[in-house]
Amino acid sequence: MASSKEYRSWQLWALALMVPIFSAAWLNHPSYAMADFAISDFSVIDESQQLDDVPLFEQQFASSDLDEFVHSPSVTALPDGGLLTVWFAGSREGAADVDIRSARYDALSGQWGAETVLVDRELTRSAVGKPIRKLGNPVVALAPDQRLWLFYVSVSVGGWAGSAINVMVSEDLGDNWSRPRQLVTSPFVNISTLVRTSPVFHADGSIGLPVYHEFLGKFPEYLYLDTQGRIQDKFRIADGDNSLQPTVVPIDGKRAVALLRQAGENPHVLATVTEDGGQTWRSEWPVTPWNPNASLSAVKSHRGTLLVAQNNLVDGRFRLSLDEANASLEEWSMIAEIDASPDREGDAIPRHLYEPMLAERFLSSSGGVRRKLVDAYMDGLDRRLCKKDLCDFQYEYPSLIRAGDGRYHLVYVWNNSFIKHVAFNPAWVEAQL
Amino acid sequence: MIILSLQTYLTFSLVLFLLVPLGPLSTSRRIGVLFGLTVLGMLPLVHGMSPAGYVRGVTDDLACTSMVWLVAAALMRLGFIAPWARPQPLQLWICFAVLGVVLFPAAMGVGMIDTYGWGFTPRPMLIGVAGLTLVMVLLRNAAGAFLLLAATAAFMLDVKPSDNYWDYLLDPFIFLYSLGALAVSGIRWVVSRRPHLPESLPAAHDELGQSGRTNA
Repeated sequence: MASSKEYRSWQLWALALMVPIFSAAWLNHPSYAMADFAISDFSVIDESQQLDDVPLFEQQFASSDLDEFVHSPSVTALPDGGLLTVWFAGSREGAADVDIRSARYDALSGQWGAETVLVDRELTRSAVGKPIRKLGNPVVALAPDQRLWLFYVSVSVGGWAGSAINVMVSEDLGDNWSRPRQLVTSPFVNISTLVRTSPVFHADGSIGLPVYHEFLGKFPEYLYLDTQGRIQDKFRIADGDNSLQPTVVPIDGKRAVALLRQAGENPHVLATVTEDGGQTWRSEWPVTPWNPNASLSAVKSHRGTLLVAQNNLVDGRFRLSLDEANASLEEWSMIAEIDASPDREGDAIPRHLYEPMLAERFLSSSGGVRRKLVDAYMDGLDRRLCKKDLCDFQYEYPSLIRAGDGRYHLVYVWNNSFIKHVAFNPAWVEAQL
Repeated sequence: MIILSLQTYLTFSLVLFLLVPLGPLSTSRRIGVLFGLTVLGMLPLVHGMSPAGYVRGVTDDLACTSMVWLVAAALMRLGFIAPWARPQPLQLWICFAVLGVVLFPAAMGVGMIDTYGWGFTPRPMLIGVAGLTLVMVLLRNAAGAFLLLAATAAFMLDVKPSDNYWDYLLDPFIFLYSLGALAVSGIRWVVSRRPHLPESLPAAHDELGQSGRTNA
C-alpha cells in the first residue's frame, strides 16, 4: 500500500504532465472558420467559350467494356473543356473483381477515349493495410486549385453497410494519383460511411463531401475537409433511417439545398436546406417528385432554378427524367425524358420484342466511336438485362454537373451495361420549356 | 508483403497473448510466447496480407486507451507490474461505459446531435477530458490518469490516421469490455447481498430437528 506521501508525489507528477499535454493538444487543434460555398459565376465566361444560342443535345457512351456490370458513375469538368468520368465495374455489384474505371472526354474531338482501371482491390488493400472485399461508388471532382479528388468506398467486412471512404488526389489532372488513404469517419471501427454524390467546394478550396450511413440507421451527413483532404468537421443533414445519398446544391455563399434519396416508406424525394454553409440543416421534408429509393443528382441552373436528374417513379428505374424546381422546391416541372422504357409502366418485355428495341436504343445512344460495338453487345445479352426471357430497361444513378462553359453534362447507368453521357446547353433547356 | 503499422502487429500479439492459456510458464517463456505471436502476426498470407492485417480489417485501429490497457495487462501477465488494485478498474469501467453511452448511440444516428463530430473540433472535449483526468488524479487512480494522458498525448502528436479525438479515447471494444465488466461486477454484488439461504437453512433445520426431538 502506497503511503500518502507517495500518492501526493505522483499526483504532483500527474498534474505536471497534464498541463503541457493538454495545452499542446489545445494549441495543435485550433478552431477553424468555415468558408462560404464557392459559387461559379457563369456570367463571366470567357467570350471565346460563349456558346451560341442553338440548342445542343448530344449523347454517347463513355464506357466501352461490353461484358461487365457497370454502376454509380460520377463526372467532373476539366480545365481544357474535357471531362473525366469514373464508375465501378465487374462481374456483378459487390463482386471481388470490381474495380474503379475512368474515361476521358476530349473536347476537341468530342469523343470519349478508352476506359482504364483507376484503382482496384489490390492497390486499396496494400495502401490502407486492410483486407478489401469489394469497392464501389467512386466520386470525382476538380477543386478550385485544379487538383482532382477521387473518393470511393471499400468494404473489409460484411456488406455495403461496412463501407469506409477512401480518398486519392491528383496534382496533374488525373495522369498520376496518390495512393489511396482511408478517411476515419465513424467511431464504430470506421464502418458505415459511404459516398455517392459529388462534393461541393467552399471559397477557400475546402471540400464539402456529402456522405451517408446505412448501418443501424440510414441518414446523410456533410463532411467538411480542408484543402489537404483532412476532416475538419462533420455535420448531420438528417437523422433516422429513411434517407441516403444527399445531392447538395449551393445556392449562394451560405445557402444550399440537399435532395435526398428516399429509403423509407414515403415514396417521395426528401429535401432539406442549410443557411450557414452546411453546418446546420432544417428537418427534411418530402417534395413533389416520386423517388423509388434511387439515387438522384441536381445542379443550379442558368435560370436560378434547380435541374434534377432522377427516376421520378413510384417503383422501378425504367425512366430517367430531367426536372426543374424553383428555389423553394415547391414548384416542379419536367424538362425532358432523358431515357425511358418503351413500356410506360416499366413492365418486363419478352426477349424477342426486346432485342430490336435495345439495338435501336444502343445505336441512338452510343455515339460514333462505340456504335460498332452493337453486334458484339447484342450477342452477349445476359442477366444484366434479362431473366427467364423477360427483359427490362433501366436508367439510373445520374450524376449531373454544369461545366465552366455553361454546358450541362449528365452521366448515368444505361441498362447496367454502359455509362452514358448526355450533354446539353442552356438553349436546349429553354427549348424544352 | 504488405507492411502494416506497429499498432496493428501489437494489437494482434497482445490480444492473443492475453487470451491463450499460459499455465505455469516462466516469465522468460511467456516473453517467448509474446514474441512468437508477434512474428505470427507478421507472416504474409494471401496476397501479402498478414494475420494482423486481417484482424485490423475487423477491428480497425484500436483507441490509444485500449492499446495502453492491453500493454498494461500484458505486463501484468508477465509479472512486471502488479494488478491494478480496486477500486481503480471499477472507476475505469464506469468512465469508459459513460463515455461510450455518450458517443455511440448518437454517432449511429439517434437524433440530430452527432457527438462524434465533437471530436473534430476538440477544444471543449479537451477541457472535459482534462477535468476527467483531474478527477482520476484526485481519486488516486493512476491507471485512469495515465490512460487519458497517453491518449491525449497521442492525439497531440497525431499518431493515428484519425483526425478525431474520440478515436484516441474510445473504441467499441473498450466500451463493451467496460459494460461487460460492470455487468459482471453488478451481478456479483447483487449475489453477495442476497441472504445466504443454503447456509442458514440447514441451521434452521437442525434447530427444528432438535426442537422436534425435544418435543418427542
